[in-house]
Amino acid sequence: MTDVRSGGAVRFGHTELPAEQREALRKAAKLEWATMGFLAVTTTLVFLVLGNSQAMKAAWIEDLLSFLPPISFLLASRVIRKPPSVDHPYGYHRSTGVAHLVAAVTLTVMGGYLLVESGLGLLKAEHPTIGGIELFGSTIWLGWLMMGVMLLTAAPPVFLGRAKMKLAATLHDKVLYADADMNKADWMTAVAAVAGVGGIGLGLWWADYAAALLISASILHDGFKNTRAAVSALMDKRAMTYDDGEPHPLGRQVDTYLRSLDWAADAKSRIRDEGHVFHIESFVVPAGGAMPTLEKLESARKACVAMDWKVQDMVIIPVAELPSEFLPGPTSGGEH
Amino acid sequence: MRRLGSMAGLLLAALLVLSGCGSSFPADPEGTLERVRGGTLRVGASMNGDWVRISAPGSGELSSNDVQGTEAELAKEFATRLGARIEWVAGTEHVLADELKHGGLDLVIGGVDDKTPWVTHAGLTRPYTESRDGRGNIHKHVMLVPLGENAFLLELDKYLMEVKAQQ
Repeated sequence: MTDVRSGGAVRFGHTELPAEQREALRKAAKLEWATMGFLAVTTTLVFLVLGNSQAMKAAWIEDLLSFLPPISFLLASRVIRKPPSVDHPYGYHRSTGVAHLVAAVTLTVMGGYLLVESGLGLLKAEHPTIGGIELFGSTIWLGWLMMGVMLLTAAPPVFLGRAKMKLAATLHDKVLYADADMNKADWMTAVAAVAGVGGIGLGLWWADYAAALLISASILHDGFKNTRAAVSALMDKRAMTYDDGEPHPLGRQVDTYLRSLDWAADAKSRIRDEGHVFHIESFVVPAGGAMPTLEKLESARKACVAMDWKVQDMVIIPVAELPSEFLPGPTSGGEH
Repeated sequence: MRRLGSMAGLLLAALLVLSGCGSSFPADPEGTLERVRGGTLRVGASMNGDWVRISAPGSGELSSNDVQGTEAELAKEFATRLGARIEWVAGTEHVLADELKHGGLDLVIGGVDDKTPWVTHAGLTRPYTESRDGRGNIHKHVMLVPLGENAFLLELDKYLMEVKAQQ
């Protein structure tokens, strides 16, 4: 197993990463460490001025939860490098999906908990109490510090998120994508918390709960979205692009290539996303019912593997006719 | 997520508009500070050592002379600063905390520390002094105020921090 920082060959299982992906992985790991460093500072700062504001508490818990995606990413990016073994013939690629699921479920549970707690606070009309704090010899309202800290922590995650988003596309990494997506929206949490505390300052005690409800709803929303994505990935959903926006174009590319071979009459594949790399089973109907030579099969497979670094674990199965029970839908490219 | 952003923005905008309307920041939802200033400060006093001593408990209306002790003196001084007269109510912490919760009192004293279980009923000032009990544990002393009356609390905190600085 090779270390990310060594600059040598980096493998995801038996897939050796091309230079571009190796560089992206190195940068992503750096950014995730930077994210955790930033989070360590902000969670400490916010904790120090937490007070009795429900909105601040929600924002603080969201900050704490933001540790999960970077940890998931860093852990998974170590585990998936293990080569396939006797017990794990498909390799350890799925650890990404497992980490993603754990983080997503945690988000859902905490979001739900905060939503209920904030809702109860609103119903019970518990007026949030925020008093003074001594700062440099004078006593000021703690709310000012709360708002100041939240505004300070609002901007950096947006930049981190943008940078990670690009790498998520290069690495085809959905945990990194989810993390980047949440970071990009992080400033809204800060603004909501500032509005909540500002509301308390104006004597609008409910503003705090309104802000807390907004923040919990956004955590819950992230939780649902990520749980759905993680579960469908583990359920062998057909390979999609890194943002789950559309079926991955590699499917069509592979089928088009296989159909263009002179010995093939028809071809269709099913592709699942193992985390970063794809697992492809291509069914090919040989022309004229004649079996292709081993060389032809082998060169077809090599050509497919050469298309993209994500294609490595691929099998070509010559069949008399395409098994429709394995291949529902018109094409593996995803057209309807 | 975009909806969250716009709603938070709206809340912030409303806040900025409202804050332009003057009045104090932070403000009291129930207007405690405004009512007390030049009016009446309703203080609940619970007997406790040197903090609060009540010489005529349970004999009708209490006068300021009936309530003595370090915290009673602080409450009197605070009332003077606000130009308010004190209406004393004697009782156990339980009764006073409940009264505070339902808006019947503005301040409760009685050697309460920051580990008080009454946080569900009352807001706490910042600790302004410390004491050590027979077991050697340190207690940070606070006073109880109505929940969410932040202008009043800040006024009291400012006073108590001055007291603390003089210790």
